[in-house]
Amino acid sequence: MAKVDIRKLNVWFKENHVLKDVTLTIKENAVTAIMGPSGCGKSTLLRAINRMNETIDGCRTTGEIYIDGQNIYDGSIDVYELRRRVGMVFQKPNPLPKSIFENVAFGLKIHKMADGQKLAEFVEKSLKEAALWEEVKDRLNESAFSLSGGQQQRLCIARALAVNPEIILLDEPCSALDPIATQKIETLIRELAEKYTVIIVTHNVQQAARVSDYVAFLYLGKLIEYGPTKRVFENPENELTERYLTGEFG
Amino acid sequence: MAGKISEKVFFAILGVPTIICLAVFLWITSILLSGIGTLRLDLLTTSVLKGGFFEMIVGTAYLLLGATGVAGPIGVFAAIYLTEYARHGRLTRIIDQAINNLAGMPSIIIGLFGYTFFCRQLGLGISLAAGWLTLALMMLPIVIRGTEEAIKMVPNTFKEAALALGASKWETTKSITLPSAAPGIITSVLLGIARVAGETAAILFTACVLVTRGLPKSPFEPVMALAFNLFVKIVALGEPPEKVFGIALILFLLVISFAAVGIALRIYYRRKQPWLR
Amino acid sequence: MLLCALLSIIFLFLMLLFIAREGMQALLTFGMDFVTGHVWDTNLNLYGALPLIYGSLMVVAGALMVAVPLGVATAIFVEEVLPFSLRDLIKSLIELLASIPSVIYGFIGVLFLAPRVASIFGLSSGTVALTASLVLAVMTVPTIVSISGETIAAVPKEYKEAALALGATKWQTVKDVVIPTAKSGILASVMLGFGRAIGETVAVLMVAGNVAMIPTPPWNFLSPVYTLTAVIAMQMGEAAIGTLEYSALFGLGLILFIITLIVNSLADILVKRGVKRLGG
Repeated sequence: MAKVDIRKLNVWFKENHVLKDVTLTIKENAVTAIMGPSGCGKSTLLRAINRMNETIDGCRTTGEIYIDGQNIYDGSIDVYELRRRVGMVFQKPNPLPKSIFENVAFGLKIHKMADGQKLAEFVEKSLKEAALWEEVKDRLNESAFSLSGGQQQRLCIARALAVNPEIILLDEPCSALDPIATQKIETLIRELAEKYTVIIVTHNVQQAARVSDYVAFLYLGKLIEYGPTKRVFENPENELTERYLTGEFG
Repeated sequence: MAGKISEKVFFAILGVPTIICLAVFLWITSILLSGIGTLRLDLLTTSVLKGGFFEMIVGTAYLLLGATGVAGPIGVFAAIYLTEYARHGRLTRIIDQAINNLAGMPSIIIGLFGYTFFCRQLGLGISLAAGWLTLALMMLPIVIRGTEEAIKMVPNTFKEAALALGASKWETTKSITLPSAAPGIITSVLLGIARVAGETAAILFTACVLVTRGLPKSPFEPVMALAFNLFVKIVALGEPPEKVFGIALILFLLVISFAAVGIALRIYYRRKQPWLR
Repeated sequence: MLLCALLSIIFLFLMLLFIAREGMQALLTFGMDFVTGHVWDTNLNLYGALPLIYGSLMVVAGALMVAVPLGVATAIFVEEVLPFSLRDLIKSLIELLASIPSVIYGFIGVLFLAPRVASIFGLSSGTVALTASLVLAVMTVPTIVSISGETIAAVPKEYKEAALALGATKWQTVKDVVIPTAKSGILASVMLGFGRAIGETVAVLMVAGNVAMIPTPPWNFLSPVYTLTAVIAMQMGEAAIGTLEYSALFGLGLILFIITLIVNSLADILVKRGVKRLGG
């Protein structure tokens, strides 16, 4: 089943043409990895899916992205509801300067989805889903900054899960973490795919191989190759992809 | 679309105060510029005794030059010490706090102090010199803060390059840091001048008199100044506004041009730091 | 160089010392009555500063009531809503507003504001507390805008992205993330605004009416008031050195010095705390 359908997407930052005619169909309940050397536009592609690009001055987008058949760049779309449906986790863990509980509750409060006892239940459920509950259940009122980097990143995942999204975008979520924390997040990503459509940006080829079902290779703003991870890794169709996978550049 | 409506309300509510601020500024400027008709160019060089502004303008310039001469070097050296030499300890913290407190001190207090200390204790009397020192006290924090900022913007790699070639710390400061920070330092001095050029309370009882016969012949004579004359003419002498409009306008243009050039230079150099590109 | 750096401390200390020395006579003569006395009258040689302290606090309170909402809203608008290209221009114009000399503010106040206040409220003279508060408000706004603006701009982009990516509107992001994070800096800007307003001399003197009495009722903004700063500026010229009047003026200076020192130090602590917390 197609969940996200990207058609002829072009993005400019000022004069800089960052994405060029990207067309890509992303499957539901699977992990899709977007990989490529730095500066190839992979983060921009990710941020196009929840329209976060437009929070940056001087950004211009053409083309369409359909989620469940609806064009999210259509004028009638409620961008805030869109961002609730499409959760995002950033490169550097970015907990808000609030307590652990308040971080997870933030989105629920913004969207007036729950309060009181129900709020606490949702927070607990999300923290469990992000495999963080056992570590923080006794210190929910402590500052989120008291957590380690890996815990902070899982807190950010819990925060995104709390508002009941359908799609989770992960922008190099492990780049600031040590190997053990990375492994925990990768395991978590596999689990999330059972319920959510997961799209992850990574510049780490091994990570793409470990966590993803499908992989897209982006180079200089163009989509070079896209297909099931196993097929792309074992038998790349494009010479550029092959050179990238063998570590010739990147 | 509750989100979009609240967004629009947000824009509207927050935009109004900004517009009010700008409107007030434009209003003040337009009032003062409306008096430009009363200003005749030849009055600028005509003696006060013949109804001109000459001694006030030159007196103000004397005050500013002297105050800059005192506060400029001291401020720059203090900033060099604080950024390049001081260790982050208790003393630095106290100095830092003292600078902030000096910056926030009301000018009337600086004036009171100037009177007891410079005029009486040091025996300078009501004089140009006492005015220099008093105004320098007000300029000092601005010059220190501006210079500190300028020095901090000089990349460490520049200094390391010099130090690695065997230059001493002072040589590095003198030949690398200061030239790179020079535009920022000049900017801070300009802003310091703008701050004190229109200052009245600080020179009220330290440097100025209403009328002098010609220009002061030594730093130990009192001086005339635009701000002082404007103040005294309105408050003490109750002169009609038309007669002081000229002074107000000259003073406004003087201060605003220093401030505008200072602010513009600061923005220019913050953006155009060649090594930040 | 160390000496240059130390000069700030030395002069701050000398200021306290010399002002206290000159004010000692009045403080010894009146004791606590110098601060709590109701009568300030040169002819009676009685110096009780209460009406002046009240006058100062009153005009400053009035000014802050206008300047704080105006200034904080402007800071948020400039930093969060305005496009980047306009930001520097607007900030510079507001900074220029701050650089206008206070004697010019006084001049405009006397010439244009006071007559309007008089005609709107049907007063015989427009030089009253309200006029002084309005003039002071305009003079304080730039301080509040620049200091609040700095802290608002220092709120990490990551915080804002976190909220936006969860579907928060820009307004929710500002209200629930930016303002709480910048809280202590905004508070510091208010304290510094207070410090600037209470120390303002010339402009206030020209428009406040200068009557050394607590208004009746005390919240009557349409009556004239006399402030600490205005009394010093007006009477210093006439007070003969060594007299009780002369000393009393330095006593007022001492009160003002201490108020400013406390306010500025509090603001300093708030700013540092804000920075520390943002540092993580």
